[in-house]
Amino acid sequence: MNLIVFTKRVPATQEEELRITGEGKAVDLSKVPFKVNDWDNYSVEEAVRIVEKSGGTATAVSIGDAESDEVLRRAIAMGAKDGLLLETGDVFHDPNVRATLIHNFLKKENLPFDAIFTGVQSEDDQFGAVGGILAAKLGLPFVSMVIGIDTVESDHLIVRRELEGGLQERVKVMLPCVISIQTGINEPRYVSIMGIRKASKVERKVYKAADYQDSMKSKIEIIKWVYPPKKAGAKILSGELESACKELLGILKEKGVYQ
Amino acid sequence: MSYALIVAEVRRGLFEERNLDSIGICSLLEKDPIMLIPESDYSVNWEALSGVIKVKIEETQFLNPLNMVNILGKVIGKRGKPDVIIFTNSASGAELAAYTAGYFDLPIITDVSNYDKEQGVFYKSYYSDKIFGEFKPSGDGSFIITVRSGSFKEYVTENGTTPSIETIEDITASPVRTFMEYVEEEKTDVDITKADFLLSLGRGIGNKDEIPSYEELAGLLKAVISGSRPVIDKMWLPKARQVGTSGKTVKPKVYLAMGISGAFQHIAGMKDSDCIIAVNKDPEAPIFQYANYGIVADIHKVRDKLKDILKA
Repeated sequence: MNLIVFTKRVPATQEEELRITGEGKAVDLSKVPFKVNDWDNYSVEEAVRIVEKSGGTATAVSIGDAESDEVLRRAIAMGAKDGLLLETGDVFHDPNVRATLIHNFLKKENLPFDAIFTGVQSEDDQFGAVGGILAAKLGLPFVSMVIGIDTVESDHLIVRRELEGGLQERVKVMLPCVISIQTGINEPRYVSIMGIRKASKVERKVYKAADYQDSMKSKIEIIKWVYPPKKAGAKILSGELESACKELLGILKEKGVYQ
Repeated sequence: MSYALIVAEVRRGLFEERNLDSIGICSLLEKDPIMLIPESDYSVNWEALSGVIKVKIEETQFLNPLNMVNILGKVIGKRGKPDVIIFTNSASGAELAAYTAGYFDLPIITDVSNYDKEQGVFYKSYYSDKIFGEFKPSGDGSFIITVRSGSFKEYVTENGTTPSIETIEDITASPVRTFMEYVEEEKTDVDITKADFLLSLGRGIGNKDEIPSYEELAGLLKAVISGSRPVIDKMWLPKARQVGTSGKTVKPKVYLAMGISGAFQHIAGMKDSDCIIAVNKDPEAPIFQYANYGIVADIHKVRDKLKDILKA
């Protein structure tokens, strides 16, 4: 089975204070560290597990600047055969633009595949739409929120989709297809710095995104960036740690959950 | 005719409450809400709708993107293009919306949580709600949105009239993606939805080895342990302990969240708790917006200090 798996380098904003600059024109990410998109980490792992079990290859593809080579090396260290970078300095917010770029690239380079894996969404923009748009453009079946792949056959997959409240749905999908992978589907393997260094020896091909931009017009406009509306928010228990903790225990007593 | 087409989310005979947000935003958009729904006995506030299009198809086939585009093709053929197609921002709504956008080549804005009528801009979360983007579809054509649960239901208005009803039939089900069965979560001995006091752990705990020490704290406090998605994904806690849209919705007397930043999907599962206390070292963590009390500190230090006090 030949799989194409997308991986994206994203800002790790979990514990960072984000600042909007230029009166809403931009979000300053200059001091924020970058990492592999969580969803893509699970997606690469799943692709690699399938080829390890049933043969074939997993090819990692990333869209981004030269720094995105980092997530390709990581994918190779996990077991991808090679990595392709669609290099661009632009950030494409519109999922239609990204899906069109990928579609043009796959067509022009005539890359063979049985299935395409994407993460359900990327941590930064949380659009969660590229996989679905791409599938429709390719005229292929699509399944998202995939939390388990139960059966891999030469002409189909049987997968489980995660719904709400702990419910799942088992679905049969014919190949070739596009699958969007949900976090928690597997336990991604640990990747050592040594492993990533070794992966540097595997050639990564670089393609210029500018060569694949036919009909890549943006369908949405970003007007500006804003901070979320502030609510009343929490009463912060401040002061020494000891007094804050005692205050916390006092609240638990008052609420009757701790004596 | 100018109208908003709402794709209803129905699951196992139930009309999902989050459909109300899809209806509510139509008031702000000033569009007639026309709802697309499988033909069956659902309990719906029909009077909030201008029209209903019933589709003669099984629910599980309706919620299949490969069938949905055929259904939408028939609707458009009959009534012309809608100004906007509205989906829920759930596992199925988001899946249907993305495929539909690709199939009909339409603009899409997902996870819309607010709309500014004056400027005509949609607010969409970025970076786990730390920043929002104001987005506009380019041009004047049809576009697609998915709406965040809980954001617009307050705008639902009932006009007191019965909606017009049309029916669509002869949809050929796609052979390339087929529903097989529902899979229920395994039953476990601990039911976090029944607990009065939850000590809930998030990504901030750092690694699995920290869990026993929090379990000890939970023991001292007589709290039940639960967790947010990253902790469950990493298999540090079992799935039955997950709080959030894909896990359980809880309403304990006290929800003590440690190292949870407060992704929307998590907030949706615990916001109705009587009292929320959040401990996080990031003062900008969205969870502080929803909490009643907060401590901005290293959670391990808070854990250790609480244990010291409780043991003393």
